[in-house]
Amino acid sequence: MNFRPLLYLSFGLVTLVAQAGPRATLSPEERTNGTQALGEIEPLLPAVRRAAAQIIAEDGRALAAAVWVGSDGYLLTKASETPDLEKARVRWSADRSASLREIHRLPAFDLVLAQAVGVQGVDCTDFSQAVPVPPYGQWLASPTYGGRELRIGVISAQPRAIPGLGPAMGIRMDEKPLKQGVRILSIAEDSPAAAAGMEPGDVLTRIAQETAKDVKTVHEIIRRHQPGDLVSIHYLRHGESKTARVRLASRTRIMMNWDGEDFANGGISIRTDDFPSIIQHDLPLGPQDMGSPLYDLEGRAVGINIARVDRVTTFALPASVFWAKIHPLIEADRHPPKALVPP
Amino acid sequence: MSLTSLALRLATLTWAVIAMMSPATAQDTLAVLKDVQQKVQGLLPQVRPAVVAIRIQDGTASGVIINSSGLILTAAHVAEKPGREIRVVLNDGQVVRGTTLGLDKATDAALVQLLDTDRRWPHVNFSRAVVSVSPGDWCFALGHPGGFDKERGVVLRVGKVIRHTANSLQTDCVLMGGDSGGPLFNLKGEVIGIHSQIWEERDHNMHVSMAPFLRSWDEMKNSLVIRVWGTGSGGYLGAAIDTNLSGQIEVLRVLEGSPAQHAGLLAGDIVEAMETQPVRSASQFSNAVRARPAGEEIQLRVRRGEAICEVRVKLTSRPKEDEG
Repeated sequence: MNFRPLLYLSFGLVTLVAQAGPRATLSPEERTNGTQALGEIEPLLPAVRRAAAQIIAEDGRALAAAVWVGSDGYLLTKASETPDLEKARVRWSADRSASLREIHRLPAFDLVLAQAVGVQGVDCTDFSQAVPVPPYGQWLASPTYGGRELRIGVISAQPRAIPGLGPAMGIRMDEKPLKQGVRILSIAEDSPAAAAGMEPGDVLTRIAQETAKDVKTVHEIIRRHQPGDLVSIHYLRHGESKTARVRLASRTRIMMNWDGEDFANGGISIRTDDFPSIIQHDLPLGPQDMGSPLYDLEGRAVGINIARVDRVTTFALPASVFWAKIHPLIEADRHPPKALVPP
Repeated sequence: MSLTSLALRLATLTWAVIAMMSPATAQDTLAVLKDVQQKVQGLLPQVRPAVVAIRIQDGTASGVIINSSGLILTAAHVAEKPGREIRVVLNDGQVVRGTTLGLDKATDAALVQLLDTDRRWPHVNFSRAVVSVSPGDWCFALGHPGGFDKERGVVLRVGKVIRHTANSLQTDCVLMGGDSGGPLFNLKGEVIGIHSQIWEERDHNMHVSMAPFLRSWDEMKNSLVIRVWGTGSGGYLGAAIDTNLSGQIEVLRVLEGSPAQHAGLLAGDIVEAMETQPVRSASQFSNAVRARPAGEEIQLRVRRGEAICEVRVKLTSRPKEDEG
């Protein structure tokens, strides 16, 4: 498939040879996101730190970041990274965590609204007071590691909508019909199919409780889902029947990274497309930082980080895009309609 | 830590303190960041129109126009060889035609010429003060990672210079595929580097400095550059040469079948001058050789023991296996 053009940039395959030069190398501490440089904007950190939390899986893995949007424990996080949200916990300091109640998923934004059970008095971010989308080159800051550290970067491209190409598993299939199922020809690096343990040569027989009749059917079944959805699959390897659960990812993400050569450094998000409007920045964040709040250097909210796309790209949703939808959901959840008492 | 490097560090510290005119505080640093932001935002409208995407066959890369007649700086691994037809995508999405000129595979520097030389092309200046770039300097990178995207526009990254070597710069402006050949700017809006290479780590972003471009700049102004750079990596001598303990430029080894061997150069010879110009350092000498085209004859003044002799060497192009 000629989806992806050849991208020019040499990838260094040799180790850096230290050259004796008259000037020293800038130490990691002194670099743009080094501890020394960031230590000096520390006054920003307490507010940013208090606004951020982490979603932690049962096994202790950090799944995503979250931002408090109500002092009574309402929070937003990235939906496609947290399919089993109520099995996870929210953690906002070394010794404070709570279980979660899922309220509403918003596939259009890849956000999920939830409430930390029994939590009161958290410092929340007021997105109704958010600043408009800043221009190219403006500095921004975000918490990382659940607010333990801060990262800075700039708006690096024009705000825009990101069209969606739907979900994919990361498999190429043989068009040749078999008596049963569809033969897998190749599997993308770091793809949902690879993560589920599939290999070239496997024969896919069932997907999402339906028969994998032919290539077209498989495509249709996948297209009915969202990136982040879990689908069950049955397949044959050397005649032996196997099952697995596959978490679908954005087709864009898989096609751009088929050979796993993008040097993303820390990985990329499961869903990287299909957003109504985004701002793009160059903060060095990872996929587990998505869901964290984004601020300007005055500490005013700008939006929520929503997708780590590649080595240079992170997308954030500006507050103006999602807040008008989120705020009524919180109010409705706080004040559920009361049943009329019969006279 | 050696005394020299300690002294260097102290010098750097003193400079930093003087530069900020007061002890570093949060306010100062915020002020520095805001100053950087203001400068970058002020320069962007001027420099953006000069940044282009380059399409060669199925590939996509970047480049920057540096004069009104449409000369473009890019990377050698983008151009690959002289005389290739390419398409250049301007800031507004318009596609125009160009051709690759010469290149220096050893340092990854290359030139492209837009075919329409009568049009007043938007362009930027590049810095001739190569040595003035220092680790810690703020800079910004522009390019078209992943290819041209009109909705997205050119992609900006702001960061610092990490390292400066003879022919290259390392920065924490993060690059990826498609950025190759794009410009790195200082805060005066001058090009100081051309994106070249990345390693896996986020801070391993390498740019060709202006040094390899400047070495052949005079030839370029006199239209000789195409001939010089058209020969690939430039003239090849085939001898290992370095500064010896007495500070002389000594031939350490002469390669079998090389131009140096044909000219009768021997290990142990001291190179004193090239074309009547005294040779002061091994790097100056090898740069001077590389800046000449294959096929050109150079004259060396060589001291062998007590004797002084003139040696004429006809340079060839670098053997294939040594390239790139």
